[in-house]
Amino acid sequence: MPEIIKNLPNEIKKNKLKTGIFIGLSAYWGLILIGTFLSVR
Amino acid sequence: MDVFLPIAEVSVNIVAIFSLSAVVGILSGLFGVGGGFLMTPFLIFLGVPPTYAVANEANNILATSVSGSTTHYLKDTLDYKMGLMIVIGGAIGTLIGIWTFTYFKGIGKIDIVISLAYMYILAIIGTAMLVEGLGEIDKARKKIITKKKLHVHYWIHGLPLRMRFQKSKLYESAFTPIIIGLFVGFIAAIMGIGGAFILVPAMIYIIGMPTRLIPGTSLFVTIFVSVIVTFLHAFNYGSIDLILVFMLVTGSIIGVQVGQKLGESVDSTGLKTLLALLLLIVGIAIAYDTFFAEHTTQEIAKIDTNDLNKLSMFIKKLSVEVPTLYGLFSIVFAVSLGVAAAFIRRFFSNLRKKYFKKAA
Repeated sequence: MPEIIKNLPNEIKKNKLKTGIFIGLSAYWGLILIGTFLSVR
Repeated sequence: MDVFLPIAEVSVNIVAIFSLSAVVGILSGLFGVGGGFLMTPFLIFLGVPPTYAVANEANNILATSVSGSTTHYLKDTLDYKMGLMIVIGGAIGTLIGIWTFTYFKGIGKIDIVISLAYMYILAIIGTAMLVEGLGEIDKARKKIITKKKLHVHYWIHGLPLRMRFQKSKLYESAFTPIIIGLFVGFIAAIMGIGGAFILVPAMIYIIGMPTRLIPGTSLFVTIFVSVIVTFLHAFNYGSIDLILVFMLVTGSIIGVQVGQKLGESVDSTGLKTLLALLLLIVGIAIAYDTFFAEHTTQEIAKIDTNDLNKLSMFIKKLSVEVPTLYGLFSIVFAVSLGVAAAFIRRFFSNLRKKYFKKAA
């Protein structure tokens, strides 16, 4: 587990595109889930 | 260039509707998806109320699926037995879907339900396509070849009522296609889509059908599901607008033919990623429209029937006075346009073959 965490910054640097897409999709899903939650409330 | 829709009681831009349906048709032909999940949100953005957008897009899907299915019938790439099993489930699912639609319409929440359903469906498909598309590009770059298993057995195949599907070379429970059909019918009734984006992966990964039979069988199922959806919407809510249907059908049939031709010469892997991005953008636009945009209550202008032109007046009267006949007419209208398009395509295809043979 610590190995994975240690290598994480290197992996992020290596796969910039994948990291960008992951962050983008997370933001996208976060937005629509929060929006749904707020509109249902 | 605006045209007034007598049933939906809104004015729409004829060029915008025609070009958008043609563009969605091209995407459908290129990627083998129905396109309903893109066209219905576009119609909503153009000012067509969601209840009318759903019903009329279902009628449009009927025409395009008849057109595609006739082509596959002529090529003999259709598994009728499997298709009929899915249709049985689809019919039940559609009825449940229409009841659900009626319930939410009754409590005045149908518009928000349709918007939310679209937002999530577009987000799910967009995300899945984006991940798959990027994965394929990655594999192609690294030259990785993955071996796939011929057939995977799931618990669903072992349910009772097992039967042989000769054409697909399968022996499995009839409940497998029926359950899938049930889910597709439900979604189609609420969202006005053909459900191919659920049906096609389910046919590949769950039923395990041969790839060459999938597009034809999927279109064959879509015909029945969209017939039921169109008829029930026309009969229950009188929401089918033949003028809108005509614009949609003409644009999408031309677009589908162009898309299928393009698909033969273009590598679609990179384009799939672009389509995924488009779906995600449409999804976020719906999210913005649902959550943040200020909604102004639209006043429905009372239109005097005498102000309408003869065709609009005839359509409106027919829809109000004989809804059953109107529902049946809208189905026959879409089916005729679809069959005509398939035969025109075959005629030109034969003509081209003859011409090229002679040239060779």
